Amino acid sequence: MKAKTRIGALIGIAALLASCGDENSMDIEVPLAGGDTTVFDASSHAYSLPAPNLDKEGLELHLEGDAQFEAVFVTAPAEVNSGLGPLFNSASCVFCHPRDGRAPAPMQGGPLGSALIRLSLPDDMENGGAPTPVPGYGGQLNDRAIINSEPEATVAVHYRIVIVKTADGRSYELRVPEFVIQNAYTPLPPETLTSLRMPRPVFGLGLLEAVSEEYILSLADEQDADGDGISGKPNYVTDVATGRLALGRFGWKANQPSLRQQTAAAYHDDMGVTTSLFPRESSYGQLQSDDRMDDPEISDEILDAVTFYIQTLAVPARRNVNDPQVRRGERLFTEAQCSACHVPKLRTGVLADVPEVSNQTIYPYTDMLLHDMGPELADGRPDYAANGYEWRTPPLWGIGLSAVVNGHTNLLHDGRARSVEEAILWHGGEAEAAREMFKTMPHGDRAALVAFVLSL
Amino acid sequence: MTKNATNIFTRLAALAVCLTLLTLTIGCGEDDVEPIEGFDATVLTSDYAHKIVLATYGELDAKADVLLTAVLNLKNDPTDANLTAAQDAWTATRIPWEQSEAFLFGPVDTLGIDPKLDSWPVNRVDLDAVLASSQPLTKETVDSLEETLKGFHTIEYLLFGVGSQKKASDLTDREIEYLTAVTESLKGDTAALYDAWSPDGGNFLGEFVNAGGSSQVYVSKRAAVQEIANGMITIADEVANGKISDPYNEEDPTLVESQFSFNSIADFQNNIRGIQNAYLGKYQETGMGLTEFVAEQDAELDTRLKGEIEAAIAAIGAIPPPFRDAISNARADVQAAIDAVRVVQTTLESGILPLIEAADIK
Repeated sequence: MKAKTRIGALIGIAALLASCGDENSMDIEVPLAGGDTTVFDASSHAYSLPAPNLDKEGLELHLEGDAQFEAVFVTAPAEVNSGLGPLFNSASCVFCHPRDGRAPAPMQGGPLGSALIRLSLPDDMENGGAPTPVPGYGGQLNDRAIINSEPEATVAVHYRIVIVKTADGRSYELRVPEFVIQNAYTPLPPETLTSLRMPRPVFGLGLLEAVSEEYILSLADEQDADGDGISGKPNYVTDVATGRLALGRFGWKANQPSLRQQTAAAYHDDMGVTTSLFPRESSYGQLQSDDRMDDPEISDEILDAVTFYIQTLAVPARRNVNDPQVRRGERLFTEAQCSACHVPKLRTGVLADVPEVSNQTIYPYTDMLLHDMGPELADGRPDYAANGYEWRTPPLWGIGLSAVVNGHTNLLHDGRARSVEEAILWHGGEAEAAREMFKTMPHGDRAALVAFVLSL
Repeated sequence: MTKNATNIFTRLAALAVCLTLLTLTIGCGEDDVEPIEGFDATVLTSDYAHKIVLATYGELDAKADVLLTAVLNLKNDPTDANLTAAQDAWTATRIPWEQSEAFLFGPVDTLGIDPKLDSWPVNRVDLDAVLASSQPLTKETVDSLEETLKGFHTIEYLLFGVGSQKKASDLTDREIEYLTAVTESLKGDTAALYDAWSPDGGNFLGEFVNAGGSSQVYVSKRAAVQEIANGMITIADEVANGKISDPYNEEDPTLVESQFSFNSIADFQNNIRGIQNAYLGKYQETGMGLTEFVAEQDAELDTRLKGEIEAAIAAIGAIPPPFRDAISNARADVQAAIDAVRVVQTTLESGILPLIEAADIK
C-alpha cells in the first residue's frame, strides 16, 4: 500500500526554481491554490502529498496519521487494528477516500460500494434541527457487517436517464440514481428520509478549517439583500466536545464543525470504530450490538494524528494556466456568476497548532455556505439549518486531477454527474441563472468554461 | 500597473522566494540543473508501460496460475510434499507482486485490486467464524467477503500457519476448501489486473503511450514521467519508513509483513528490485528507462542512484533471517537496511524529481 513522502516540498521548490529563469513575458503568474501548502504534481499523487511547509516534527505526525488513514480494521479481538464494526460501511479510511480523493459512484445495479445512505425521521426543529435517528438504524445505513452479525440492509442502485438539451441543440444524457433498500434486518419506518452520498476528497481541508467564522459569515447573504438571487447561508451544528452549536464547515450540508469531529464521526458511523468523542458503538441498542467493553477502540493519539494528516495535506497547483482557452473560460466563469458561490479567493486566519495552514491566501472556489440548488438535486432531508434543497458549495480546487488520481470524474453529492459539464447542467435553484447561461453559450464558450474548471 | 510592470514585480517576488530557498536546501545557484532541450519521453513512457508494468503483471498472473494448480494438487492429495510445493508457489507469486509495488497507481488502485490482493492484517476472528460455519466455500463466497479475508496474506496464513509450522495433516477439509476458493479469487484478480493494462483489454497502458496527447489521465508527458518516479518513491518510503521501521521501532513481530511465511526479507528486496526495474527499464526485456533520461543530463547522479539501489538490495539481504527475530537480535543490520533504502528515497526525491520538473519533456 502507498505512503507519503516529502516529494511535494521538493517539487514545489523545483517549480519555483524553474520560474527563476523563465523568459516568457506573456505568461501570467497565477497565485498558488493552497498558499504555502501548494504542490506541483499532476500525477496520481496530486491529492496525497504532505504540505511542503511542514517542519520535521510536523511531517512525522502527518506520516503517522497517513499510516493510520490507510489502516484496515478487523474484528476484535486482534493484535493489530482491532475493533471493526460490528456494523460498518468501510473497513478503512482509504476505502472511501482513495488517494485522499473521490471514490467512484455505485455501478448500475450494484451495491453502494463507497457511497452511503443517510437516514433520519422527519422532525420539527428541536435540537437546532439535528437529524432524528431512525430507531434500529441510527443516522446512516450500514450495509456491511462482520461475520455472524447482520448488515442493516443491502442496497441496489439503478440509474434513470434524463435528456437535457443546450440552446445549440446538443443533447446530454444525464443520470439520476435511484436505490432500493432490500433485506432490511428490521422494518425501516416508511416515513424515513434518505439521502445518497459520495465521500468527499480530504486534501486542503485544514485551510478551510482555518478560515475564520467572521470571514465566512461576511460572505453570507441569507436574505439576498443584494438581490442577485444568490443567498448563502451558514449552517450551525452541534459541537460534540462542547455540546453547543457551532458553525458547520464540512460535509455536503456543512454538518460538521471541525475536522476532529468529522474524523471521529467517520470512524464511528462508517467503520464502527469508537473514540473518546463517540465512545458508544454505532450499533448500540441494536440487535447486532456486541456490547463489548473495549472502548475506545482507537486512542486520542491516533485520532489526533489522522486529524492533523487531513489538516496538512497539500493542495495541487493549477495546470495549463496560460492556455488561452483556459483564460477565456475563467472570464466566462465570472460572467456566468459561478464565482458568486464558488468564491475563488479566501484568506485563512489562525488554526491553533497548525501554523502551516494559518494566514494563507487560498483559491478553493467555495464560500463554505449553503445554497438552494433546486428541486432536481434536493434530497428532502434537512440537516440542522440546511433544508432539503440546500447544499454547501463544494470547493473546486484540484477537480481537474480527479481522472488521474481516481480514474473517474464522478461529481455531486450522489455521484450522478460523470463530468464537469454534467455537474453544471444539474445546477438549479440559486444557480439556475448560471446554468441557463451555460446552456445558451456557444459550444466553444462552454468548452472554455469547462477547460478552466479542469485547470483548477 | 502595466502588464510589464506586473511581470517584473512577480518575477522579483519569485526571485525573492528562490533566494530564501537557497538558504534552505537547493537554490538557483550551483546545484541548479541545466534543463535538457526537448527530451522526447515517448519511448520512455511506452517502454515503461509495455516492458515493465504489463510484463510484471503478466508474470504475476502466470505465477498465480501455478499457485492455483499447486493448491488444487494439495486439495486432491494433501501430502506434506504438496503443501511445500504450494508454499513455494506462493513465495514465487510474491516476487512479481512485490516488484509491482513500484507502480501502485492506475487500475490496481482505481479498481480496488491492491486491497483485494494484499490486505493486511488477516481478519482471523472472521476467518475462524467462516470456517466454523456451514456456508459453502466457493470462489463466489470468497469474492463477496471482506478484503481482509482474501488475497495473499489469507492464503499465506492458511498455507504456513502461525510460526510457519503448518503440516498437511493440520489442514482441515474446510481450510482446504477455503484455500482453494481464495486462490481462485486471487487468480481472478491477477487476470483482471493484467487485462486492465493490456491493449486488448482496459488498455490503461494507452494512457502512458498517449500521455500529453489523447490521454484523459496524464495531461502531459511530464505528468506521466512524474508518475513513474512517484511510484518508485512511494515504495521506497513504504519499505524504509513503514514495512521495516514499524516493527523495528516497536520491536513488535505482529507488525511484520508476510510474517506467517517468514518471507519478509525477500518481499522487501523485491520491492527495491521493482524500483530497479522501473529505473533501468529492464525486466524480461530491456527498454528505455528513467536512467537514460537522467544520464543524459547528470551522469554522476545516474551512476550514484544505480549504486544506491544495489546497495539497498544488498543491505536488506544482509539482515539475518527471520526478520521477525532480527528486529530484536540484529538491530544494527536492520537499521543499516533502513538507512540504505532512505538513501534511495532521498536521491529520487531531491535528485530525480527536480530533474523531471526542470526538463522540457515532450
